[in-house]
Amino acid sequence: MTSSKLPTNESLNRLIAAIQDGDDDVRGSAWQDAAPAGAPAIQPLAALFNHMNFEVVRSAQRAAQRIVRHAGRPGAQPEAQAVEQELLELLTNGSALVRREALGWLSEIGGDAAVAPMARLLTDPECREEARCALLRLPSAGVSLVLRDAMAKAPESFRFALADALRRRGEQVEGYPSQKLTPTRSTAVR
Amino acid sequence: MTLRRITRRRFLQTSGVCSAGALGFPTFVPRSAFGLPGKPSPNSQFVIGQIGTGGMGATHLNNLLRFEQEGKVRLAAVCDCDDNRLQAAWENTGKRATPYRDYRYLLERKDIDAVLIATPDHWHAVQTVHACQSGKHVYVEKPASVTIREGQAMVDAARSNNVAVQVGAQARTAKGAWQTCRAIRNGIVGKVTQVTCWHYASPQDDKPVPDSEPPEGLDWDLWLGPLPWRPYNRRYAPGTFRWLMESGGGQIRDRGAHQFSTILWCMDADRQTSFTVEATGTVPKKGLWDTAIDMHVVYQFKNPDWTLEWGQPGNKVGQTEFGNVFWGDTGHLVLEWEGGYRPANPEAVEFQLPAGGKEVYRTDEYEDFNMNHKADWLKSIREGHLRPAVDIEIAHRTATLCNLGNLSMLLGRKLIWDGDRQEVVGDPAANRLLSRPQRYPYCL
Repeated sequence: MTSSKLPTNESLNRLIAAIQDGDDDVRGSAWQDAAPAGAPAIQPLAALFNHMNFEVVRSAQRAAQRIVRHAGRPGAQPEAQAVEQELLELLTNGSALVRREALGWLSEIGGDAAVAPMARLLTDPECREEARCALLRLPSAGVSLVLRDAMAKAPESFRFALADALRRRGEQVEGYPSQKLTPTRSTAVR
Repeated sequence: MTLRRITRRRFLQTSGVCSAGALGFPTFVPRSAFGLPGKPSPNSQFVIGQIGTGGMGATHLNNLLRFEQEGKVRLAAVCDCDDNRLQAAWENTGKRATPYRDYRYLLERKDIDAVLIATPDHWHAVQTVHACQSGKHVYVEKPASVTIREGQAMVDAARSNNVAVQVGAQARTAKGAWQTCRAIRNGIVGKVTQVTCWHYASPQDDKPVPDSEPPEGLDWDLWLGPLPWRPYNRRYAPGTFRWLMESGGGQIRDRGAHQFSTILWCMDADRQTSFTVEATGTVPKKGLWDTAIDMHVVYQFKNPDWTLEWGQPGNKVGQTEFGNVFWGDTGHLVLEWEGGYRPANPEAVEFQLPAGGKEVYRTDEYEDFNMNHKADWLKSIREGHLRPAVDIEIAHRTATLCNLGNLSMLLGRKLIWDGDRQEVVGDPAANRLLSRPQRYPYCL
């Protein structure tokens, strides 16, 4: 399979079947060679993220990660955009694990179009910190705007993290001083 | 020259045997008499806290206790997010040091001048930066960082807070590496155009286990710190963080941090910050661990031109588990390990500096190079220059080699590194991976 050629249904089915194979070598080779499978493989792989076998979950995640990183190579903008589109669809997935993984990968290849959909997860109690972290990696100027918007609506406890994110983007923020050096955990050793 | 212009170092140089006692001062002067919090006076004991007490931290703790016996430091606090390890460390201090689970309590203490950080790699940068911001001098385990941007932040924090940050790549104060360094720099094998490293493979997890509850006493959230939250798995900790890319980086970031540091020193190449890097490797097909089992990385430096090769296993030229070979135009010289735990090759030991040759400086206070490296750090604070042998800027450059080697392997492509701009040329996706999101509040 070459990177310029989309996978056929048959090759995609073979990949997804191999990712679920009980043989470590078959499964391992499948995810390690998954990079060229590209955007069409993202959704079927994500469907395995809640598989009952944790090694299948791990293999599916690693296959998707290989696809994302391959698509991000220089000169492959159309591939990256196709993968980005698939990842954006995962942001509304019912599984928090899937949404978190998608956020992480979007932080690597997401463009301007990813900012608003990612920012919507800043109100998701299961993913908001992952969304904040992922947005910080995007070069888009729109990130500051969505962070500020989220700051106005966020629960008090999350505002400190958002304030820090805004400051990292060079924005002025009133109040919400850094908590990075504030100790919170005591030991039982006496 | 007015009295105001005489530095302490110059004073000591010119006054010879004139001691504090001879001037009528008591022989023991408390730190507070001369120093400010975090800024000990040259006369005083350093008050130190240690963060991370397991693994290599145990060696550091014993070193600090020896310094304490010699009256050079006072170990005031020990910290670990695992209460079991903390208990052991605290008892090792004779229950004299204050135990903390959360390092930020330790950083709050104004009486502590300096910290020694021996936590897993993903904590190094955050804790170092926070310690610098708290006005503490820092000794931090290698590798300095797990991303390029972390390394830059560490350099900035050290400089802007005017503190010394020594990174624990101890070979630069070890006799074996020093003997090799002065021999290579003075032409024992002529002009060196290639340096190769060999190293045994990383382990793979043959028996993956499912996630589980963390062991009693381990604060899992605090262990994770900057990393995204996820359930505990026995393959993360204790002691196996090394085999995960995000927390350890494998052999190239572990021992590579030692070997590359020594090589850059020998090649006098600390300022040669731009290069290309191309890596291939085999990663485990199953299990949690994701660092390379086998790996081959080629770094190409220009002006002067030379090649550095990381081989895992590579071409084993020497006798022991890992080492380096300097290939010159008149021969080659082997350095086993990194020149710390193993002696230099006899040719290097016996090497006589030629007429007009250049000597290489090394702090030489202790035969034990772990002690000596810390002595070098303390000396840099005492003397006020704040540039120990493996100053954070040097260590950042070494870690850059390690981190970009891994990055090239992960991306499956050659990277062109611009050291002046601190970015990969023409590869936006690679540049995004020069940093990694960190969970609030455990962030830079």
